[in-house]
Amino acid sequence: MFRKIKRHLRLGKQQINIDTIYTGIDEPLPKNIEKVKKRLDEIFSGCDDFIQRQMVCGEDECIRILVSYIDGLVDKNILNRDIIRPVIDYLSSKQAHDEPKLVYQRIKECVVSSSDFEEIQSMQQAVYKIVSGDAVLFVDGVKDALAVNVKTMQGRQIDEPDTEISIRGPREGFVENLATNMMLIRKRIKSPNLKFEIIQLGVQTKTDVCICYIKGIANEEIVKEVRKRLKKIKTDAILDTGYIEQYITDNRLTLFPIVGNTEKCDKLVAKLLEGRVAILCDGTPYIITVPYIFIESIQTSDDYYDHAFFASFMRLLRSFALIISNLLPAMYVALVSFHHTVIPIKLMITLAASRQGIPFSPFVEAVLMITAFELLREAGVRMPRTIGQALSIVGAIVLGEASVAAGIASNLMVIVVAITAICSFVVPPLIRATMLLRFAFLVAANFLGFLGISFVAVAVFIHLCRLRSFGIPYMAPFSPLTASDIKDSLGVVPIWAMLTRPKILFPENTKDTVGIKRQEVDEISED
Amino acid sequence: MEKARISSLQLFMLMTGFLFGSTLIINPIINAKNDGWLAIIIGGIGGTLLLWVYATIALLNPSKNFVEILRSRLGKVLGNLLALLYVWYFTHLASLVFRNFGSFITTTTYLYTPLEVIITIFAIVIVYAVNSGIEVVGRVSELLVPVIPVIAVLISISLVTIHDFTAFLPVLENGIQPVIKAAYAFLTFPFGETISFLMIFPHLNKRKNLRRVSALSALSVTGLFLFIFFRDITALGSHFIYQATFVPHITSVLIPGINLEPLLDVNLLIGGGIKIAICLYAASTMLANIIGADDYRKFTTSLLTFCVVLSIWIYENIFEMFNWAEKVWPYYSIPFQIFIPLILLVLSLIKKNKTTLTDSAEQ
Repeated sequence: MFRKIKRHLRLGKQQINIDTIYTGIDEPLPKNIEKVKKRLDEIFSGCDDFIQRQMVCGEDECIRILVSYIDGLVDKNILNRDIIRPVIDYLSSKQAHDEPKLVYQRIKECVVSSSDFEEIQSMQQAVYKIVSGDAVLFVDGVKDALAVNVKTMQGRQIDEPDTEISIRGPREGFVENLATNMMLIRKRIKSPNLKFEIIQLGVQTKTDVCICYIKGIANEEIVKEVRKRLKKIKTDAILDTGYIEQYITDNRLTLFPIVGNTEKCDKLVAKLLEGRVAILCDGTPYIITVPYIFIESIQTSDDYYDHAFFASFMRLLRSFALIISNLLPAMYVALVSFHHTVIPIKLMITLAASRQGIPFSPFVEAVLMITAFELLREAGVRMPRTIGQALSIVGAIVLGEASVAAGIASNLMVIVVAITAICSFVVPPLIRATMLLRFAFLVAANFLGFLGISFVAVAVFIHLCRLRSFGIPYMAPFSPLTASDIKDSLGVVPIWAMLTRPKILFPENTKDTVGIKRQEVDEISED
Repeated sequence: MEKARISSLQLFMLMTGFLFGSTLIINPIINAKNDGWLAIIIGGIGGTLLLWVYATIALLNPSKNFVEILRSRLGKVLGNLLALLYVWYFTHLASLVFRNFGSFITTTTYLYTPLEVIITIFAIVIVYAVNSGIEVVGRVSELLVPVIPVIAVLISISLVTIHDFTAFLPVLENGIQPVIKAAYAFLTFPFGETISFLMIFPHLNKRKNLRRVSALSALSVTGLFLFIFFRDITALGSHFIYQATFVPHITSVLIPGINLEPLLDVNLLIGGGIKIAICLYAASTMLANIIGADDYRKFTTSLLTFCVVLSIWIYENIFEMFNWAEKVWPYYSIPFQIFIPLILLVLSLIKKNKTTLTDSAEQ
């Protein structure tokens, strides 16, 4: 069945994919500046933010220069300072040449005072440069044109990300601007081995997408695979890394995240240093990292900044919370409907008393309460923050108290759902998977009790063991067991004892995390 | 042929899970009464030797699976015929395990649930596992098999207040004969059944570990069974253990204060699941090899459906099941588990000697 769906999806995708915006303008630049102007006006007809500034000078007005740009994308101050003013000064000065080619040469070499420009030859390039925020300078009688980078750097300020809060550690988060994000990463890894490869994706949007990795640490095979998969993407638009994520995943029909995302600089840099590959996308602060394995879901950056004992304890707590948030309602239903004998007598009496007068079966009760909780959560997320908080408090108190008072849910059920809800927030990357699995476990528990839960659990385990993220088994380092990677899984060793990089990512490159550290250890052992 | 690779640890886990399987439900050593521990030791040692033989066959025929070994040693026609018989044997074994598990569940925990429902749902999980490939089955076993000894120890700890250490005395009350009989039953079930691993051995990534891993897993399972036997007999006493239908179930019921029965179900689910998955994998890959099909997955669903139906038809009631396991299975298994493998071993050894002789003659 899934195979059919997949085939259908694939067919649906093949029917789009025609490069629609640049068809018909694949031509060399005309020499005559009037022609250029007319053609550009034609292409940008209806675009009132498109501006062309013509400058005329010399004897018989033989030197004509055209600057084309889009208002708002370029920084007008920089444009005036670096292009318009110097060019006018030059043209009106005595050194000015009459020969267009020489003028163009001079302008290129010593008039335009911008550090970042590019020579272009075709109309397609010119149009692309203009829409991506460059000012393009044409000289009459010359076949080439000059695209000067005078982009504005407007955008959100760098601030602490809302989605990933850390108690300790750097608070800088990524922003929407790709160049700023690249700067934030480069600032932390001062090495020429840190590579950024930019490609354009999306037929309409031509979004800059950047592959980032550390050469020598990241596995070349994975980098190659990332490049290959990115190049395969054929779509109209890339608005967020979420789009890319869905295209490049190994398994499109899974509940579990097999591509990681983060908004925190220090977290991303740590992942890069472990040998992962990051994919940045212009216009979004979320950066995705591959390969992503299951254990990363319960890792936080605080684990490495804090003392290893506390960090290990928190890891264990998180794993426990993950199990609880998946299984607790199902366990409750299984216990009440099937396995009375398992419950100790005293608890049994309390339970029977609390369930007295409730018209629903435990399963219906559980589904009602969990659905109510999910609704509350969703409502709280979409609301403005201040209202959201009020909503959740009112919802929790009113729903919890009133449903017990009205005899719709038992006291114990409210406790069960409350604990489940708390636990589900402990492991944010798996919230969505847990949400759906919880219902699957509930149905199974209502059907076959503990045996049903075990069946579903085993099926989930099989699914997890099947999953791969860019060829890396998802359940590593537990299965396949990778002894050297266990140090950073359910527990975490102190940072000075973490001598090797994750072996599972790059088996050939496990020698050391930091050369110096290993040397020190060797020296000590030699002594 | 699948290009999957499994590690030594995964093979160990698979084998341990397989050997644990449904053995606790049937309890082949029950006839030795309080001398069961002796039967376990003898059977365990015999089983280790048997596994050693199977591993040696695999080592003498490097990178050949069971069907190819049979064909190359016994000729194409006879080899294919025997391979087909083995397909039947493994299918039959899988359905027996299904029935063991289903009967256990429907008699102990789920009294009102039909046997068919339990077996069918179990089968759906199994087919998902087997279709994911042997690599995935190996990884799943790596995660789940360690649960088995943990639960066994947990139940034992809970039983620490109930014990009678004299329960297994006197030794050899009824003579050595019942012990030997039970040990033989224990040898054929579960150790002899690992003949199905000849379809999995070629996937092992480090072939030189093969014998060590097999022997280690046989010995550790023997140790586990010994442990569980001592727990059961000290808790129940020799008479009770002989009369009980499902010994581990009775033992877990004895635990004061709380009922750990569902944990036991989980244990049997893991062991039984791995056993059925391997039987099914072996049967379907063998069938694919005989026919020359490229993908064994085409056969899994149909073979498993057959298993499910067979498992429901095969016995009228659980007493017939025990009777079959006790009286018929050990003898029915002789050709499959001992006779044919020994012939293969001898033939492989002769072939090897010949080639070494010709090699040395050439030199």
